[in-house]
This record gives sequence, C-alpha cells and structure tokens, in this order.
Amino acid sequence: MIQKQVVVIGGGPAGLSSAIAAAQAGARVTVIDENQRPGGQLFKQIHKFFGSREHYAGRRGIHIGTEMLKEAEALNIEVLLNSVVYGIFEDRTLGVIRDGANLSVRAERVVIATGASENPLVFPGWTLPGVMGAGAAQTMVNLHGVLPGKRCLMVGSGNVGLIVSYQLLQAGADVVAIVEADSKVGGYHVHAEKIRRHGVPILLSHTIREARGKESVEEATLVRLDKNWHPLPGTEQDLQVDFVCLAVGLTPLTELGWMANCRCQSVPGLGGFVLHHNDGMETTVPGIYAAGDCAGVEEASIAMEQGRLAGLSIAESLGLIDRTRSADQRASIQERLKELRRKPAFYDSSADLGNREASTADRASLEPLKVGPGYPTEERFQQGPTAIVECMQEIPCDPCAYVCPRGAISVGRPITKLPHLDTGKCTGCGLCIPGCPGLAIFVVDNTYSPTEALLKLPHEFLPLPKAGEIVEALDRYGRRVTEGRVIKVENPRKFDHTPVVSVVIDKRFSNEVRAVSVRRGRHGR
Amino acid sequence: MAGNEDMIICRCEEVTQAEILEAIRDGATTVSGVKRRTRAGMGLCQGRTCRKVVAKMVVTETGQSAEEVLPSTYRPPVRPVTLGTLANEWDE
Repeated sequence: MIQKQVVVIGGGPAGLSSAIAAAQAGARVTVIDENQRPGGQLFKQIHKFFGSREHYAGRRGIHIGTEMLKEAEALNIEVLLNSVVYGIFEDRTLGVIRDGANLSVRAERVVIATGASENPLVFPGWTLPGVMGAGAAQTMVNLHGVLPGKRCLMVGSGNVGLIVSYQLLQAGADVVAIVEADSKVGGYHVHAEKIRRHGVPILLSHTIREARGKESVEEATLVRLDKNWHPLPGTEQDLQVDFVCLAVGLTPLTELGWMANCRCQSVPGLGGFVLHHNDGMETTVPGIYAAGDCAGVEEASIAMEQGRLAGLSIAESLGLIDRTRSADQRASIQERLKELRRKPAFYDSSADLGNREASTADRASLEPLKVGPGYPTEERFQQGPTAIVECMQEIPCDPCAYVCPRGAISVGRPITKLPHLDTGKCTGCGLCIPGCPGLAIFVVDNTYSPTEALLKLPHEFLPLPKAGEIVEALDRYGRRVTEGRVIKVENPRKFDHTPVVSVVIDKRFSNEVRAVSVRRGRHGR
Repeated sequence: MAGNEDMIICRCEEVTQAEILEAIRDGATTVSGVKRRTRAGMGLCQGRTCRKVVAKMVVTETGQSAEEVLPSTYRPPVRPVTLGTLANEWDE
C-alpha cells in the first residue's frame, strides 16, 4: 500500500488543471493516466481553441497540452503513465495496474477526471471495419499519421463532427458528406463554414441507413428524416465511401464514481449519467472530487475551470489555503463558467438547452451578415481594404479582440457578444485573419484596380499556393466561382500555421469568394 | 430498427438485437436484466460500447424514462486485467 496526498485519475485538461491548482497551493499531487502520454484529447486537437485568454484561446490544443505539462513538471507533480486505475475501494484506496503489477494506492483526496467515451450508433453494417468513432479517426490521423480511408461519410454535425471533418480534409481525405439528423447544424457556425467553403455538403435531416461492403465499408445509404426523425421512404441515396465516422455524442465515464458510491444522476443534456457534485466539485462521497466530462460532457475550457475549482477545494480541505483567501478566485472561476455556458457549446444536445440561437446556425446568406457588427458599409468598401468579420453566432470566444494593433475589433463582456469592427480604425492589414480560431475573418480590397479586388484569406491546407499561381476561387459552399491570381502567401511563425493567401479576383465576386483551391477539381463542386 | 434483427448490438459477446428484444419481452426492465439473460455487456469492453444502446432499447420497449433505466452494476476491474496481473502484487 502506497500513501499519497492527492491522486488525480486522468491526465486530460480537467485532471491536469486540478493537479496544477492543488500543487500551486502546496499539495503533493500524483496524476495517474492509462495512456502513453498525458494530455487526454489535447494532443490530437490541432485546431485553435475558442474561449478567452484564461482558457488559452487562440492556441492550438497540442500547444495547450505541452504548456500544462511543463507547468505540472515545474510544480513537481508526479505523473504515472501506462497506469490503469481499475477500481476504487474503501477509504479512497485505488487499485492500479502498472508495469504488469497490482498496486494499491491510498489517497487523502481523489479527483475523478476520466473524461468521456464516444457514443455508438447502431445500423446494419455498423460492425464493418471502416465504421469508427470520429474521435478514433482523429487519433489515427493526428497522433499516428494514418489516414483511415479516402472517402468519408461523417455522421453528426456537432463540433466533433465538424472539426474532425476539417482535419480529415487537411490530411488529404475527401469528406463526401456530413449527415445530421436534426434540422440544424449542431456545432459552431464558423466550424461548419470552414468545411462548407471547401465543398463539403452538410445534409440536415438526414442519417445513415446502412453501410455495406465485403471486407470493409464500400458504400453507405443515406435517408432523409421527417421532423420526428422518422425515415422518409423513397428518399434513400447511396454514397461511395470507404469509411464512416460517428460523431453522435459522448458518454461520461463514471464507472469509478459508481464504484465509490458517488451519487450519479441522469442529465440528458450532459451526455447521460454524470457524477453529482457541489460548487467545489466534491462528489457526494467526502474526499472524492469530479472534474471535466465525467461530471457532464461540455468542452475543454469548462473542463479546465472545473479542474481548477476541484484543485482549490482540495487545497482548502487540506488546510493548505485559507478559504477566505481563495474565495475571490473561486468566485471568478464561477463567473467565467457562467459566461462559457451562456450559449452552450455542448457537443450533442441542443434540444433541451433553450437558450441556443437556432436561427443563426445555418444562415449562410449575406443578408444577416450585412446587418451584423462585423460588416463594413458599402461606402467603406469603396475607401480601401477592410476586414470582414463573418462571425454570426454568439459563442464564447474573443481572441480577435486582442490581435488588432489598432484596436479595431472589440468583443467586451459577456464574452459571447459578436465582435464589433470599427471600420474607421481598420486598415485591412489582415493580422486578425490568423487570430480568429474560427477562420471567419477576411480582408477585401475593392479598390485594388478598376476591375479587380484583392482578397486575403486563411488557408490551412497543403500544398500552399505560390505567388503568381492561378488558383480556383471558391464561394462559401465550395463552388468554383472564378479563378484568382495569387499575389503572396504569408506564413510567419506568429500566424501559428494559419497562412494568409492574398489573391486577386474579378471584383464582381469579392463578396462571394471565401476560399481558394490549388488542387484543381477536387473540391470544386 | 425493425427488420434488422440479426444485427449485432453487443460486439464483444455477439448478442443480436433479436436476443435483446426477447430478453426485454421475457421481463428484463433494466440493463442488468438484459445482461443476465444475454451476456450483453459482459465482454472485453464491459459494456462501454453497447450499454447506452441497450438502455435505449429498454426505454423504448418498456416505456420507462431514461432516468429510471440505470446502467448495469460496475465492478472492478473497469479495464480488462488478467488474474495473473491482479495476483502480482507490487513490491516497494
């Protein structure tokens, strides 16, 4: 039997945050993780994160993970990898398998930060090789450098489905379609736009009916659904795909909590049974805390805040910090959690969350955009280059407010407010383009020449176009509108792998073109 | 899901949809009830894949609410561990 002061089960964003918060207060912390490396899902998140500066917004998940590990190391947090907590017994005694041996660890305080697992979807052919969780495909592509197939059908349009689709495109696969059973896109509008403008159709009120193939997936049948999600006969269509990704929500991993007699309650909006906890993240069993997806499936920023709360509560309960001194810190975390949850960023369950703005999710027409606070006036377009902020959904995100050297973009509080563009201050320099995690900022210069406009667009695909190259100019749906002449490609270190392409096109299309393709015909539908 | 009764629900134990429906008709009103009758959820993954599907089928067939249909009892080990490993106690 080994004695520990604080043991955190799971080294993802929630677990690491709780470990760091407790260790900063002076606790001796051990993190146990079953994987080869800590960081949970962070190391396969190659996109820039949303949120505020407190949540590392604008940084890519992999970098956030690296930073947290450095912090943990500096605080002398012990990290046991390849170690599985297989059970919780009396008095917070954990059964741990490590190096083929069975180890008992008794901890004064335990944090359960075990995360969540992907939901299955059952249909004929779902057990065929080639049908996999979207997260599994993401692990294959981003961690192991293996493409699961060439032509993908993505099932589910929550943020997981949208982000993994984008990353599959980046890795060189074709995402033939995304199907969504609901009548609106589940994830963030900007994530949907990122893949739409590269030609991926999002088929709403559709689902997969069947996957077929001899040895593995060769074909899938889609079907249209009515309002009650019942299949409409006669609407079936076949798609040639060689893999199917399921992004239909996550389930909290609560086994250890049940085993420890923690109260679990079913909250459909949070993914099913979750570990019940108080304001300080303590479960109904004294000394056992929960943080992150096992306390309800939300997203990484919320998981990190919950981890910090758990770490603080533990430090207080161990007498390491004075409760009155940490009160301010806890209050500001609670405040940030409230803001993050204003417009929910839940992956799979918008149905019972009434405050979501459904109407904004799918509007891709220019009209609502033009009345938004990020869109310049007609006169302004005539005066020279200007940014356009195509951010139309109230999501918790504000990095754009910090990247403009002239302070032309502001978000303010709450963090879910739409960015406001002060076109008087904007010079069209385009530094804001790589600063937007949603890649929703563009620069348009309608004064470039009497007949041509210059566009600056984010472009996170290889191969990069070269100066002087003629490329396809695509509209918001990935349709080829015209061709463009690349003037320059900027990709300095501070853009963090979001190159900005300056391209000259026929002026008539300056409000339509939002992407370029150097791979002729591939995405030009 | 009608008409697809051969479809496998629990992959580890190869339990079909028909077998699970039969278990529910036989009186199973919980995930554990289905598990005891069919072995669904007793394989290598310990139900991590199929338990939500089984719970949904119980809800649909019996008309209970999702809150009432508890997951099956969790027991250690929550990951597959050989008896040899369990018996191999760690030396300090």
